[in-house]
Amino acid sequence: MKIGIPKALLYYYYGPFWKTFFEELEMEVVVSEDTNKKLINEGIKASVPEICVPIKIFIGHCIDLIKKDVDYIFVPRMISIYKGEVFCPKFMGLPDMLIHGVEGMEDKVLTCHIESKSDDISDYRNYIDIAEKLALPHDKLKKACRVASEKWYRFREYNKKGYHVLEAIDMVNNSVKIESTKRSDSDVKLGILGYVYNMYDSFVNMNVIDKLKSLNVDFITFDMIDESELRKYIDDMDKALFWTFSNKLLGAGYKFFRENEVDGIIHITAFGCGPDSFLGKLFEIESDDTKLPFMTIRVDEHTGENHLQTRIEAFVDMIRRKKAKVMQWGDKIEGSISLYGDSSCL
Amino acid sequence: MKVAFPYMGTVVVYKKLLELLGHEVVVPPRPSQKTIDLGVKYSPEFACFPFKVIIGSYIEACEMGVDTIVTSGGHGPCRAGFYGEIHKRILHKMGYDVDVIIFDAINRDKDRFIENVKKVKGKNSWLKLAKAIRFTYDLLKQIDVFDKEIHRIKPYEEVPGSAYRAWQEIQKEFDSAYDKKQLKKAVDRSKEIINSIRLKKVDEREKIRIGIVGEIYVVMEPSINMEIEKVLGELGCEVERSQYLSEWVDFNLMPSFLKKTHEEEVLKKGEKYIEIIIGGHAKQTVGFIVDFKDRGFDGVIHLMPFACLPELVSQSIIPKISKEHDIPVLTLSIDEQTGKANNLTRIEAFIDLIRNKKLGKFVV
Ligand code: SF4
Repeated sequence: MKIGIPKALLYYYYGPFWKTFFEELEMEVVVSEDTNKKLINEGIKASVPEICVPIKIFIGHCIDLIKKDVDYIFVPRMISIYKGEVFCPKFMGLPDMLIHGVEGMEDKVLTCHIESKSDDISDYRNYIDIAEKLALPHDKLKKACRVASEKWYRFREYNKKGYHVLEAIDMVNNSVKIESTKRSDSDVKLGILGYVYNMYDSFVNMNVIDKLKSLNVDFITFDMIDESELRKYIDDMDKALFWTFSNKLLGAGYKFFRENEVDGIIHITAFGCGPDSFLGKLFEIESDDTKLPFMTIRVDEHTGENHLQTRIEAFVDMIRRKKAKVMQWGDKIEGSISLYGDSSCL
Repeated sequence: MKVAFPYMGTVVVYKKLLELLGHEVVVPPRPSQKTIDLGVKYSPEFACFPFKVIIGSYIEACEMGVDTIVTSGGHGPCRAGFYGEIHKRILHKMGYDVDVIIFDAINRDKDRFIENVKKVKGKNSWLKLAKAIRFTYDLLKQIDVFDKEIHRIKPYEEVPGSAYRAWQEIQKEFDSAYDKKQLKKAVDRSKEIINSIRLKKVDEREKIRIGIVGEIYVVMEPSINMEIEKVLGELGCEVERSQYLSEWVDFNLMPSFLKKTHEEEVLKKGEKYIEIIIGGHAKQTVGFIVDFKDRGFDGVIHLMPFACLPELVSQSIIPKISKEHDIPVLTLSIDEQTGKANNLTRIEAFIDLIRNKKLGKFVV
């Protein structure tokens, strides 16, 4: 049996788990292509115009998998991975949206409810629906969960040592051994705030990560930080946000803003993201108070990559100058960056 | 304290409760272009439309000198439950010295809930509070009955505009009721008012019934939904909404053993399409489409605020429901730039389509 895993959304967080899981169940796993223009356009065509870019991309990946002739596409219903918190409504309704909203998906979607108390989603009960649908014995399921979980923990361990998600995935796949934290000789360190599917999909972010590397800038993201550390900064809020990953970003953001360990902060957000409209506001207020350089990059249609390059360079330049002169920095930079040049309205 | 609340739907109700507790109540002005402009100016660009309108009316209320705003909270997954928190921060950043009291579900933070209740209760006894709540609830139930009735008969009024004039009068009647006896009188008077509206006889088969579904704020607040009920009434359609305040209260605030509400049934009907509750009113939206069809309605208009998270999920699924249940559905997305004229044209075309379809059915 051939199972397709879309290389989108939480693939960049749970991919190592899910891939191993299905392989353990003796299935052939097909991961969709890297996001590309053609795939995005397919996704745009198949979705309602106002929905956010990451969901359009996800749908594009599913369509790509159908073409690869898979038996099923794995689309989990992500409900909660933290007590009292949930995922964005679109994650919770994702299987519905595909089954009833995208042509040809009705019998292809393989789904299950994921509800857990922590990031660890390896409890076999989360996958019972799958076992039932595919008539798999429970002990086999349990074992697959266990093996996958080990792999995932290893991935997280690398990740938390300072290797970003893509590096960490690579490292677990090739069983690299590491002892210590990643070292860097860079003079500038940035905090990058963004969901994994915006940050690590190189098509969406137009290779922000490579650009930072070429500017010899070191950076830190929320996934490199331990959950308990992230929570420290939002625990005293009257009310945190409801969405777990938004809260992780919020915690990371507050940490960056308040602890003086980075020289500047970039928030990468996708056009049409509802939770980010609030998250962004909270960051803005915070940057007003702390005067730390802050820039928002919003990805949507009509862009040139050059524009992004210029803005990041300017931002980093400014920080370097500031560090050299220790000059006063007051303003924040805001603006939108877009991509997908000529594609129709998103 | 001088207190205000968000403007949505039949505002006499919130006003009443706060008045009964002895507060000086400021009803914010009905949302206008100015409200919307203010809201847009001080909100994050991608905040949902209700967020923007509500902050706009808070600002107007603050200008009128209120020192307290009372509102409801929520726990997600949609953004509404976080409105209060961000609104508060924005108002404070703007320099308004105003307390925002946010009522969350009691089990989320019991102490805070009680503390909030105490703030609103003021010096009143608990008994008085209970009575005030009870009375407001009764009033709400009654007034909703008339709200529904008005929009049922509006298309058949002999004198154009008489139904709406009646509705204004009815609201005034209720506004002046402060105890049980007065409430009873308001109800009786309202019945008389309704009965005095002269109606044309219309053949059952020619009647057109339209259901309105979608996100609660844009469904309930006429000033931002192009007064869609009125528009439809003028086009000759009976209208019923998926949301009435009293039903919201029944479903959200009543203890669950009393909760045999219609909404439960509706949610069941939506289950095939959206399996679990995903926030906002997405599941209700799809459930109500099926429900309206089951109850013999001819069409449904789906209202959603621009980029509303849960409604985008329902919007994705609606074409299929519409096809499977053979009921036409028109989705209108509403935001600060909603071209009124453009939407009106779409509504007219939609009703034409339904009328033709219907007449076609009966012409032999
Ligand atoms: S239901 Fe829609 S409009 Fe209402 S808060 Fe949620 S996202 Fe915003």
